[in-house]
Amino acid sequence: MERRVSVRVLLLSFVLLLALAVQECRAELAVVLVIDKNSPVNSISTLDIRKAYLGITVVVDGQIIRPLRSRHDDRLNQIFLQSIVAMSQRSYDRRLLSLLLKNGKPRPVEVDGHDKLLEMLTRRPSSIAYMWKSDADLDERIKIIKVLWRET
Amino acid sequence: MTNTRKRASKAYQPPIVLIGLVLVLALSGRPVSADPQHDMLLFLSAEGRNTVSTSDPALEGFDDHLAADFLYTFNSKRFRFLAEYLLSDTESELERFQAAWQFDERTMLWFGRFHSITNFWASEYHHGQYMQTSISRPGIEEWEDESGPMPSHITGLLLEHEFVRNNRSVVNFGLSSAYAPSFVGQRLVPFDILDPGSDHELAASARLAYRPDILSTNQIGLALAYNNIVVDSASNPNLVDLNSIRQATLGIFADWSLNDWRFLANFVYFEMDLRYGAGTVQDSFVLGYVQADYAIRDEWTVFGRAEFGFNEDDSAYLQLLPAVIAHRLMLGVRWDFASSHAITLEVADTSTNGDGFTHDNFKQLRIQWSAVFP
Repeated sequence: MERRVSVRVLLLSFVLLLALAVQECRAELAVVLVIDKNSPVNSISTLDIRKAYLGITVVVDGQIIRPLRSRHDDRLNQIFLQSIVAMSQRSYDRRLLSLLLKNGKPRPVEVDGHDKLLEMLTRRPSSIAYMWKSDADLDERIKIIKVLWRET
Repeated sequence: MTNTRKRASKAYQPPIVLIGLVLVLALSGRPVSADPQHDMLLFLSAEGRNTVSTSDPALEGFDDHLAADFLYTFNSKRFRFLAEYLLSDTESELERFQAAWQFDERTMLWFGRFHSITNFWASEYHHGQYMQTSISRPGIEEWEDESGPMPSHITGLLLEHEFVRNNRSVVNFGLSSAYAPSFVGQRLVPFDILDPGSDHELAASARLAYRPDILSTNQIGLALAYNNIVVDSASNPNLVDLNSIRQATLGIFADWSLNDWRFLANFVYFEMDLRYGAGTVQDSFVLGYVQADYAIRDEWTVFGRAEFGFNEDDSAYLQLLPAVIAHRLMLGVRWDFASSHAITLEVADTSTNGDGFTHDNFKQLRIQWSAVFP
Protein backbone atom coordinates (compact mmCIF):
# COMPACT_ATOMS: atom_id res chain seq x y z
CA MET A 1 0.00 0.00 0.00
CA GLU A 2 2.78 2.42 1.01
CA ARG A 3 4.74 1.51 -2.09
CA ARG A 4 1.72 2.32 -4.32
CA VAL A 5 1.40 5.75 -2.67
CA SER A 6 5.10 6.43 -3.24
CA VAL A 7 4.81 5.58 -6.94
CA ARG A 8 1.77 7.82 -7.24
CA VAL A 9 3.58 10.70 -5.50
CA LEU A 10 6.57 10.15 -7.75
CA LEU A 11 4.43 10.16 -10.90
CA LEU A 12 2.54 13.23 -9.74
CA SER A 13 5.80 15.04 -9.01
CA PHE A 14 7.14 14.07 -12.46
CA VAL A 15 4.02 15.41 -14.21
CA LEU A 16 4.20 18.57 -12.14
CA LEU A 17 7.86 19.09 -13.00
CA LEU A 18 7.17 18.42 -16.65
CA ALA A 19 4.35 21.00 -16.64
CA LEU A 20 6.64 23.54 -14.99
CA ALA A 21 9.39 22.83 -17.53
CA VAL A 22 6.97 23.28 -20.43
CA GLN A 23 5.71 26.48 -18.85
CA GLU A 24 9.29 27.69 -18.49
CA CYS A 25 10.07 26.88 -22.13
CA ARG A 26 6.91 28.70 -23.27
CA ALA A 27 7.83 31.76 -21.24
CA GLU A 28 11.18 31.92 -23.04
CA LEU A 29 9.52 32.19 -26.45
CA ALA A 30 9.84 35.91 -26.95
CA VAL A 31 11.29 38.30 -29.52
CA VAL A 32 13.49 41.08 -28.20
CA LEU A 33 15.23 44.15 -29.55
CA VAL A 34 18.97 44.12 -28.96
CA ILE A 35 21.85 46.54 -29.31
CA ASP A 36 25.58 46.44 -28.70
CA LYS A 37 26.34 46.16 -24.97
CA ASN A 38 28.54 49.29 -25.06
CA SER A 39 25.95 51.45 -26.78
CA PRO A 40 24.71 54.44 -24.74
CA VAL A 41 21.19 53.60 -25.89
CA ASN A 42 19.31 51.76 -23.14
CA SER A 43 15.73 52.13 -24.25
CA ILE A 44 13.77 53.02 -27.35
CA SER A 45 10.06 53.63 -27.81
CA THR A 46 7.85 51.32 -29.86
CA LEU A 47 7.08 54.24 -32.19
CA ASP A 48 10.77 54.90 -32.80
CA ILE A 49 11.41 51.22 -33.53
CA ARG A 50 8.63 51.21 -36.10
CA LYS A 51 9.89 54.45 -37.61
CA ALA A 52 13.43 53.11 -37.91
CA TYR A 53 12.26 49.96 -39.70
CA LEU A 54 10.05 52.05 -42.01
CA GLY A 55 13.09 53.98 -43.19
CA ILE A 56 12.51 57.11 -41.10
CA THR A 57 15.58 58.60 -39.44
CA VAL A 58 15.48 58.09 -35.67
CA VAL A 59 17.93 59.67 -33.22
CA VAL A 60 18.10 58.27 -29.66
CA ASP A 61 20.59 59.61 -27.12
CA GLY A 62 22.47 61.35 -29.92
CA GLN A 63 22.80 58.14 -31.92
CA ILE A 64 21.26 57.59 -35.33
CA ILE A 65 19.60 54.21 -35.10
CA ARG A 66 20.54 51.74 -37.86
CA PRO A 67 18.04 48.90 -38.10
CA LEU A 68 19.19 45.42 -39.15
CA ARG A 69 16.83 42.77 -40.46
CA SER A 70 17.13 39.02 -40.00
CA ARG A 71 15.94 37.05 -43.01
CA HIS A 72 17.13 33.58 -42.00
CA ASP A 73 14.16 32.71 -39.80
CA ASP A 74 10.70 32.71 -41.42
CA ARG A 75 8.77 32.73 -38.16
CA LEU A 76 10.84 35.61 -36.80
CA ASN A 77 10.17 37.50 -40.03
CA GLN A 78 6.42 36.94 -39.68
CA ILE A 79 6.49 38.25 -36.11
CA PHE A 80 8.51 41.26 -37.29
CA LEU A 81 5.95 42.07 -39.98
CA GLN A 82 2.95 41.63 -37.66
CA SER A 83 4.25 43.09 -34.42
CA ILE A 84 6.81 45.70 -35.42
CA VAL A 85 5.81 47.25 -38.75
CA ALA A 86 2.21 45.96 -38.87
CA MET A 87 2.28 45.43 -42.62
CA SER A 88 2.21 42.63 -45.15
CA GLN A 89 5.54 41.65 -46.70
CA ARG A 90 4.47 43.21 -50.00
CA SER A 91 3.42 46.53 -48.44
CA TYR A 92 6.60 46.71 -46.38
CA ASP A 93 8.83 45.98 -49.37
CA ARG A 94 7.01 48.60 -51.47
CA ARG A 95 7.37 51.17 -48.74
CA LEU A 96 11.14 50.72 -48.57
CA LEU A 97 11.48 50.55 -52.36
CA SER A 98 9.59 53.81 -52.62
CA LEU A 99 11.97 55.61 -50.26
CA LEU A 100 14.98 54.29 -52.11
CA LEU A 101 13.55 55.25 -55.50
CA LYS A 102 12.41 58.69 -54.40
CA ASN A 103 15.56 60.02 -52.80
CA GLY A 104 18.04 57.22 -52.38
CA LYS A 105 17.26 56.57 -48.74
CA PRO A 106 18.97 53.29 -47.77
CA ARG A 107 16.87 50.29 -46.79
CA PRO A 108 17.50 48.47 -43.50
CA VAL A 109 20.43 46.11 -44.00
CA GLU A 110 19.30 42.50 -44.37
CA VAL A 111 21.48 39.90 -42.71
CA ASP A 112 21.51 36.16 -43.33
CA GLY A 113 22.63 34.14 -40.31
CA HIS A 114 22.68 34.78 -36.60
CA ASP A 115 26.48 35.03 -36.31
CA LYS A 116 26.70 37.67 -39.02
CA LEU A 117 23.93 39.62 -37.33
CA LEU A 118 25.85 39.63 -34.04
CA GLU A 119 29.01 40.69 -35.83
CA MET A 120 27.25 43.66 -37.44
CA LEU A 121 25.59 44.64 -34.17
CA THR A 122 28.93 44.87 -32.39
CA ARG A 123 30.69 46.51 -35.32
CA ARG A 124 28.17 49.36 -35.46
CA PRO A 125 27.11 50.34 -31.92
CA SER A 126 24.02 52.25 -33.07
CA SER A 127 22.59 49.22 -34.87
CA ILE A 128 19.51 47.49 -33.56
CA ALA A 129 18.17 44.05 -34.40
CA TYR A 130 15.36 41.77 -33.34
CA MET A 131 15.94 38.15 -32.35
CA TRP A 132 14.64 35.35 -30.16
CA LYS A 133 15.19 36.07 -26.48
CA SER A 134 16.78 32.66 -26.03
CA ASP A 135 19.46 33.61 -28.59
CA ALA A 136 19.98 37.05 -27.09
CA ASP A 137 20.50 35.57 -23.61
CA LEU A 138 23.41 33.49 -24.89
CA ASP A 139 25.59 36.37 -26.08
CA GLU A 140 27.28 38.79 -23.70
CA ARG A 141 28.26 41.27 -26.43
CA ILE A 142 24.68 42.54 -26.76
CA LYS A 143 21.97 43.79 -24.42
CA ILE A 144 18.19 43.56 -24.58
CA ILE A 145 16.51 46.97 -24.69
CA LYS A 146 12.91 45.94 -25.36
CA VAL A 147 10.67 42.90 -25.47
CA LEU A 148 8.82 43.15 -28.78
CA TRP A 149 6.67 40.05 -28.72
CA ARG A 150 5.88 37.24 -26.31
CA GLU A 151 3.95 34.07 -27.06
CA THR A 152 0.68 34.08 -25.16
CA MET B 1 20.83 77.92 -93.17
CA THR B 2 19.72 80.84 -91.12
CA ASN B 3 19.43 80.07 -87.49
CA THR B 4 16.53 82.04 -86.13
CA ARG B 5 16.83 80.48 -82.71
CA LYS B 6 16.47 83.07 -80.05
CA ARG B 7 19.61 83.42 -77.97
CA ALA B 8 19.08 84.68 -74.47
CA SER B 9 21.03 87.81 -73.77
CA LYS B 10 22.15 86.46 -70.41
CA ALA B 11 21.94 82.74 -69.72
CA TYR B 12 20.83 81.65 -66.27
CA GLN B 13 23.68 80.95 -63.85
CA PRO B 14 23.36 78.57 -60.87
CA PRO B 15 23.26 80.54 -57.61
CA ILE B 16 26.83 80.76 -56.34
CA VAL B 17 25.53 81.83 -52.91
CA LEU B 18 23.79 78.48 -52.49
CA ILE B 19 26.94 76.57 -53.41
CA GLY B 20 28.88 78.61 -50.82
CA LEU B 21 26.20 77.87 -48.26
CA VAL B 22 26.65 74.14 -48.90
CA LEU B 23 30.35 74.35 -48.13
CA VAL B 24 29.84 76.39 -44.94
CA LEU B 25 27.13 74.08 -43.61
CA ALA B 26 29.11 71.02 -44.66
CA LEU B 27 31.96 72.06 -42.40
CA SER B 28 29.70 72.87 -39.45
CA GLY B 29 27.15 70.04 -39.46
CA ARG B 30 27.16 66.87 -37.41
CA PRO B 31 27.52 63.25 -38.48
CA VAL B 32 24.38 61.77 -39.91
CA SER B 33 24.88 58.11 -40.66
CA ALA B 34 27.44 55.38 -40.18
CA ASP B 35 29.00 53.04 -42.74
CA PRO B 36 28.77 53.60 -46.50
CA GLN B 37 25.93 51.68 -48.08
CA HIS B 38 25.24 50.86 -51.72
CA ASP B 39 21.91 49.83 -53.12
CA MET B 40 20.76 48.88 -56.60
CA LEU B 41 17.38 48.31 -58.20
CA LEU B 42 16.40 47.13 -61.64
CA PHE B 43 12.87 47.86 -62.88
CA LEU B 44 11.79 45.90 -65.93
CA SER B 45 8.61 46.24 -67.95
CA ALA B 46 7.13 44.88 -71.18
CA GLU B 47 3.97 46.34 -72.63
CA GLY B 48 1.63 45.65 -75.53
CA ARG B 49 -0.85 48.28 -76.65
CA ASN B 50 -3.66 48.20 -79.21
CA THR B 51 -5.15 51.48 -80.41
CA VAL B 52 -8.45 52.06 -82.21
CA SER B 53 -9.17 55.59 -83.38
CA THR B 54 -12.36 57.19 -84.61
CA SER B 55 -10.67 60.39 -85.78
CA ASP B 56 -7.26 59.45 -87.19
CA PRO B 57 -6.56 56.04 -88.80
CA ALA B 58 -2.83 56.76 -88.51
CA LEU B 59 -3.08 56.30 -84.75
CA GLU B 60 -4.47 52.77 -85.09
CA GLY B 61 -2.48 49.60 -84.65
CA PHE B 62 -0.57 47.45 -82.20
CA ASP B 63 2.78 48.36 -80.73
CA ASP B 64 4.97 47.08 -77.95
CA HIS B 65 7.35 48.69 -75.53
CA LEU B 66 10.23 47.26 -73.51
CA ALA B 67 12.05 49.17 -70.78
CA ALA B 68 14.74 48.62 -68.16
CA ASP B 69 15.35 51.23 -65.50
CA PHE B 70 18.49 50.92 -63.39
CA LEU B 71 18.84 52.76 -60.09
CA TYR B 72 22.04 53.03 -58.08
CA THR B 73 22.40 54.79 -54.73
CA PHE B 74 25.33 55.38 -52.44
CA ASN B 75 25.10 56.68 -48.88
CA SER B 76 27.96 57.61 -46.59
CA LYS B 77 28.31 59.75 -43.51
CA ARG B 78 26.91 62.95 -45.03
CA PHE B 79 27.02 62.26 -48.72
CA ARG B 80 24.38 60.67 -50.90
CA PHE B 81 24.53 59.86 -54.58
CA LEU B 82 21.78 58.66 -56.88
CA ALA B 83 21.81 57.73 -60.55
CA GLU B 84 18.94 56.43 -62.65
CA TYR B 85 19.40 55.20 -66.20
CA LEU B 86 16.56 54.21 -68.51
CA LEU B 87 17.11 51.92 -71.46
CA SER B 88 14.14 51.16 -73.69
CA ASP B 89 13.31 50.37 -77.30
CA THR B 90 12.78 54.09 -77.86
CA GLU B 91 15.45 55.75 -75.72
CA SER B 92 18.64 55.37 -73.74
CA GLU B 93 19.00 58.18 -71.25
CA LEU B 94 20.58 59.14 -67.96
CA GLU B 95 17.42 60.30 -66.20
CA ARG B 96 18.78 61.32 -62.82
CA PHE B 97 22.34 62.02 -61.77
CA GLN B 98 22.40 63.79 -58.46
CA ALA B 99 24.50 64.08 -55.33
CA ALA B 100 23.49 65.45 -51.95
CA TRP B 101 25.08 66.84 -48.87
CA GLN B 102 23.17 65.94 -45.73
CA PHE B 103 23.42 68.74 -43.15
CA ASP B 104 21.49 66.80 -40.55
CA GLU B 105 18.94 64.00 -40.53
CA ARG B 106 16.23 66.34 -41.87
CA THR B 107 17.98 68.60 -44.38
CA MET B 108 19.62 67.80 -47.71
CA LEU B 109 20.98 69.82 -50.57
CA TRP B 110 21.03 68.07 -53.93
CA PHE B 111 23.05 69.05 -56.94
CA GLY B 112 22.72 67.58 -60.42
CA ARG B 113 19.97 66.43 -62.74
CA PHE B 114 16.78 65.48 -60.95
CA HIS B 115 13.04 65.22 -61.45
CA SER B 116 11.12 68.43 -60.90
CA ILE B 117 9.49 68.54 -57.46
CA THR B 118 6.42 70.16 -58.99
CA ASN B 119 5.77 67.12 -61.17
CA PHE B 120 3.96 65.07 -58.51
CA TRP B 121 3.86 61.73 -60.33
CA ALA B 122 7.52 61.92 -61.32
CA SER B 123 8.59 62.71 -57.77
CA GLU B 124 6.61 59.71 -56.46
CA TYR B 125 7.34 57.01 -59.04
CA HIS B 126 10.18 58.37 -61.19
CA HIS B 127 10.81 55.75 -63.91
CA GLY B 128 9.93 52.79 -61.69
CA GLN B 129 7.05 51.43 -63.72
CA TYR B 130 6.38 48.61 -61.22
CA MET B 131 5.77 51.13 -58.44
CA GLN B 132 2.78 52.82 -60.07
CA THR B 133 -0.56 50.99 -60.07
CA SER B 134 -1.53 52.05 -63.58
CA ILE B 135 0.40 51.49 -66.80
CA SER B 136 -0.16 55.01 -68.09
CA ARG B 137 0.88 58.25 -66.47
CA PRO B 138 -1.61 61.13 -66.37
CA GLY B 139 -1.12 63.46 -69.35
CA ILE B 140 -0.17 66.38 -67.17
CA GLU B 141 2.59 64.29 -65.55
CA GLU B 142 4.03 62.90 -68.81
CA TRP B 143 7.74 63.21 -69.54
CA GLU B 144 8.93 65.92 -71.89
CA ASP B 145 9.39 63.47 -74.79
CA GLU B 146 5.80 62.24 -74.35
CA SER B 147 4.39 65.77 -74.78
CA GLY B 148 4.30 66.59 -71.08
CA PRO B 149 3.33 70.25 -70.65
CA MET B 150 5.57 70.80 -67.58
CA PRO B 151 9.33 70.32 -67.18
CA SER B 152 10.17 66.95 -65.61
CA HIS B 153 13.98 66.84 -65.77
CA ILE B 154 15.86 69.86 -64.54
CA THR B 155 19.50 70.44 -63.63
CA GLY B 156 20.62 72.55 -60.70
CA LEU B 157 20.17 72.71 -56.94
CA LEU B 158 17.45 71.29 -54.74
CA LEU B 159 17.08 71.93 -51.03
CA GLU B 160 14.87 69.53 -49.05
CA HIS B 161 13.87 69.88 -45.43
CA GLU B 162 11.52 67.91 -43.23
CA PHE B 163 9.80 69.58 -40.26
CA VAL B 164 8.60 66.98 -37.77
CA ARG B 165 5.79 68.20 -35.57
CA ASN B 166 5.11 66.55 -32.19
CA ASN B 167 7.07 63.53 -33.35
CA ARG B 168 4.08 62.43 -35.43
CA SER B 169 3.10 64.76 -38.29
CA VAL B 170 5.48 66.07 -40.94
CA VAL B 171 5.80 69.02 -43.28
CA ASN B 172 8.15 68.41 -46.21
CA PHE B 173 9.57 71.46 -47.91
CA GLY B 174 11.49 71.58 -51.18
CA LEU B 175 13.04 74.48 -53.08
CA SER B 176 14.90 74.19 -56.36
CA SER B 177 16.74 76.49 -58.70
CA ALA B 178 17.83 74.93 -61.95
CA TYR B 179 18.07 75.00 -65.72
CA ALA B 180 14.69 74.78 -67.44
CA PRO B 181 14.12 72.76 -70.61
CA SER B 182 14.00 74.49 -73.99
CA PHE B 183 11.19 74.08 -76.53
CA VAL B 184 12.25 72.29 -79.70
CA GLY B 185 9.93 71.03 -82.44
CA GLN B 186 6.80 69.81 -80.66
CA ARG B 187 8.12 69.23 -77.16
CA LEU B 188 10.20 70.41 -74.24
CA VAL B 189 13.84 69.29 -74.24
CA PRO B 190 15.67 69.09 -70.90
CA PHE B 191 19.09 70.59 -70.27
CA ASP B 192 21.82 68.23 -71.46
CA ILE B 193 24.66 67.82 -68.95
CA LEU B 194 26.95 66.84 -71.83
CA ASP B 195 26.10 70.08 -73.69
CA PRO B 196 26.35 72.76 -71.00
CA GLY B 197 26.67 75.56 -73.55
CA SER B 198 23.10 75.13 -74.79
CA ASP B 199 20.50 77.82 -74.18
CA HIS B 200 18.54 77.21 -71.02
CA GLU B 201 17.05 79.62 -68.55
CA LEU B 202 15.72 79.50 -65.01
CA ALA B 203 13.39 76.87 -63.59
CA ALA B 204 12.47 77.75 -60.00
CA SER B 205 10.19 75.48 -57.97
CA ALA B 206 8.85 75.18 -54.45
CA ARG B 207 6.83 72.40 -52.90
CA LEU B 208 5.15 72.03 -49.53
CA ALA B 209 3.59 68.73 -48.45
CA TYR B 210 1.80 67.95 -45.21
CA ARG B 211 1.72 64.40 -43.87
CA PRO B 212 -0.51 64.06 -40.80
CA ASP B 213 1.12 60.80 -39.76
CA ILE B 214 4.84 60.21 -40.22
CA LEU B 215 4.20 56.46 -40.45
CA SER B 216 1.69 56.84 -43.25
CA THR B 217 2.20 57.79 -46.89
CA ASN B 218 -0.83 60.10 -46.88
CA GLN B 219 0.01 63.60 -48.01
CA ILE B 220 -1.52 66.77 -49.36
CA GLY B 221 0.43 69.67 -50.75
CA LEU B 222 1.07 72.68 -52.92
CA ALA B 223 3.62 73.13 -55.70
CA LEU B 224 4.72 76.36 -57.34
CA ALA B 225 6.95 76.76 -60.35
CA TYR B 226 8.30 79.41 -62.65
CA ASN B 227 9.93 78.25 -65.88
CA ASN B 228 11.57 80.45 -68.47
CA ILE B 229 11.64 78.27 -71.58
CA VAL B 230 13.86 79.23 -74.50
CA VAL B 231 12.30 78.39 -77.87
CA ASP B 232 14.14 77.01 -80.90
CA SER B 233 12.00 78.88 -83.37
CA ALA B 234 13.67 77.25 -86.39
CA SER B 235 12.66 73.76 -85.32
CA ASN B 236 8.97 73.99 -86.20
CA PRO B 237 6.99 76.33 -88.51
CA ASN B 238 4.50 76.87 -85.66
CA LEU B 239 7.28 78.38 -83.57
CA VAL B 240 8.36 81.07 -86.03
CA ASP B 241 8.87 84.40 -84.26
CA LEU B 242 8.26 82.78 -80.84
CA ASN B 243 11.26 83.69 -78.68
CA SER B 244 10.46 82.30 -75.28
CA ILE B 245 7.70 80.91 -73.09
CA ARG B 246 7.23 81.98 -69.49
CA GLN B 247 5.32 79.36 -67.56
CA ALA B 248 4.05 79.88 -64.02
CA THR B 249 2.17 77.03 -62.34
CA LEU B 250 0.34 76.47 -59.11
CA GLY B 251 -0.60 72.90 -58.28
CA ILE B 252 -2.45 71.16 -55.50
CA PHE B 253 -1.91 67.44 -55.03
CA ALA B 254 -3.08 64.69 -52.71
CA ASP B 255 -2.20 61.06 -52.10
CA TRP B 256 -4.59 59.60 -49.57
CA SER B 257 -5.29 56.04 -48.45
CA LEU B 258 -8.41 55.05 -46.56
CA ASN B 259 -8.78 51.37 -45.67
CA ASP B 260 -8.58 49.54 -49.02
CA TRP B 261 -8.90 52.73 -51.09
CA ARG B 262 -6.17 55.01 -52.34
CA PHE B 263 -6.83 58.34 -54.03
CA LEU B 264 -4.36 60.33 -56.11
CA ALA B 265 -5.13 63.78 -57.46
CA ASN B 266 -3.23 66.68 -58.93
CA PHE B 267 -4.64 69.87 -60.42
CA VAL B 268 -2.36 72.48 -61.91
CA TYR B 269 -3.19 76.03 -62.91
CA PHE B 270 -1.01 77.29 -65.78
CA GLU B 271 -0.32 80.96 -66.48
CA MET B 272 1.55 81.26 -69.76
CA ASP B 273 3.27 84.10 -71.63
CA LEU B 274 4.19 83.24 -75.20
CA ARG B 275 6.67 85.94 -76.19
CA TYR B 276 6.63 86.55 -79.92
CA GLY B 277 8.65 89.20 -81.69
CA ALA B 278 5.41 91.03 -82.42
CA GLY B 279 4.04 90.83 -78.89
CA THR B 280 3.03 88.51 -76.07
CA VAL B 281 0.17 86.02 -76.13
CA GLN B 282 -1.22 85.28 -72.69
CA ASP B 283 -2.83 82.02 -71.86
CA SER B 284 -4.22 80.32 -68.76
CA PHE B 285 -5.80 76.92 -68.18
CA VAL B 286 -6.10 74.09 -65.67
CA LEU B 287 -5.20 70.44 -66.16
CA GLY B 288 -5.73 67.71 -63.61
CA TYR B 289 -6.81 64.20 -62.74
CA VAL B 290 -8.28 62.03 -60.03
CA GLN B 291 -7.26 58.38 -59.69
CA ALA B 292 -8.79 55.83 -57.33
CA ASP B 293 -7.23 52.45 -56.51
CA TYR B 294 -9.18 49.76 -54.66
CA ALA B 295 -7.31 46.78 -53.22
CA ILE B 296 -9.61 43.76 -53.46
CA ARG B 297 -6.97 41.64 -51.76
CA ASP B 298 -3.25 42.01 -51.23
CA GLU B 299 -2.62 40.78 -54.79
CA TRP B 300 -5.49 42.36 -56.75
CA THR B 301 -6.16 46.06 -57.31
CA VAL B 302 -8.75 47.70 -59.54
CA PHE B 303 -8.24 51.33 -60.49
CA GLY B 304 -9.64 54.13 -62.57
CA ARG B 305 -8.64 57.63 -63.53
CA ALA B 306 -10.37 60.67 -65.01
CA GLU B 307 -8.25 63.38 -66.62
CA PHE B 308 -9.74 66.67 -67.65
CA GLY B 309 -9.14 70.40 -67.74
CA PHE B 310 -10.63 73.85 -67.81
CA ASN B 311 -10.05 76.27 -70.67
CA GLU B 312 -7.40 73.90 -72.06
CA ASP B 313 -9.10 73.53 -75.45
CA ASP B 314 -8.41 77.20 -76.23
CA SER B 315 -4.84 77.21 -75.02
CA ALA B 316 -2.28 78.60 -77.46
CA TYR B 317 0.51 76.82 -75.56
CA LEU B 318 -1.12 73.39 -75.73
CA GLN B 319 -1.57 73.84 -79.50
CA LEU B 320 2.21 73.57 -79.69
CA LEU B 321 2.02 70.10 -78.07
CA PRO B 322 -0.26 68.08 -80.38
CA ALA B 323 0.26 64.78 -78.51
CA VAL B 324 -0.56 66.15 -75.06
CA ILE B 325 -3.38 64.20 -73.38
CA ALA B 326 -6.34 66.56 -73.01
CA HIS B 327 -8.96 64.14 -71.67
CA ARG B 328 -8.89 60.49 -70.63
CA LEU B 329 -11.16 58.06 -68.86
CA MET B 330 -9.34 54.90 -67.83
CA LEU B 331 -10.08 51.66 -65.99
CA GLY B 332 -7.69 48.88 -65.08
CA VAL B 333 -6.84 45.89 -62.96
CA ARG B 334 -3.48 44.82 -61.54
CA TRP B 335 -2.35 41.44 -60.25
CA ASP B 336 0.72 41.31 -58.04
CA PHE B 337 2.45 37.95 -57.82
CA ALA B 338 5.72 36.29 -56.78
CA SER B 339 6.67 39.09 -54.37
CA SER B 340 7.78 41.68 -56.94
CA HIS B 341 6.05 41.04 -60.26
CA ALA B 342 2.80 42.47 -61.59
CA ILE B 343 0.52 42.04 -64.59
CA THR B 344 -1.66 45.05 -65.38
CA LEU B 345 -4.51 45.50 -67.85
CA GLU B 346 -5.81 48.94 -68.74
CA VAL B 347 -8.51 50.30 -71.09
CA ALA B 348 -8.82 53.98 -71.85
CA ASP B 349 -10.82 56.44 -73.90
CA THR B 350 -8.38 59.23 -74.73
CA SER B 351 -8.25 62.56 -76.53
CA THR B 352 -5.00 64.22 -77.45
CA ASN B 353 -4.76 67.84 -78.42
CA GLY B 354 -4.23 67.15 -82.13
CA ASP B 355 -3.39 69.77 -84.72
CA GLY B 356 -5.12 73.10 -84.47
CA PHE B 357 -8.24 73.06 -82.34
CA THR B 358 -9.45 69.55 -83.18
CA HIS B 359 -8.78 66.64 -80.85
CA ASP B 360 -7.58 63.20 -81.86
CA ASN B 361 -9.76 60.58 -80.20
CA PHE B 362 -8.80 56.96 -79.67
CA LYS B 363 -9.45 53.95 -77.46
CA GLN B 364 -6.59 51.94 -76.13
CA LEU B 365 -6.13 48.50 -74.57
CA ARG B 366 -2.82 47.99 -72.77
CA ILE B 367 -1.31 45.01 -71.02
CA GLN B 368 1.94 45.14 -69.10
CA TRP B 369 4.28 42.95 -67.09
CA SER B 370 6.44 44.85 -64.63
CA ALA B 371 8.88 43.80 -61.95
CA VAL B 372 11.65 45.00 -59.67
CA PHE B 373 14.89 43.23 -58.77
CA PRO B 374 16.28 42.39 -56.29
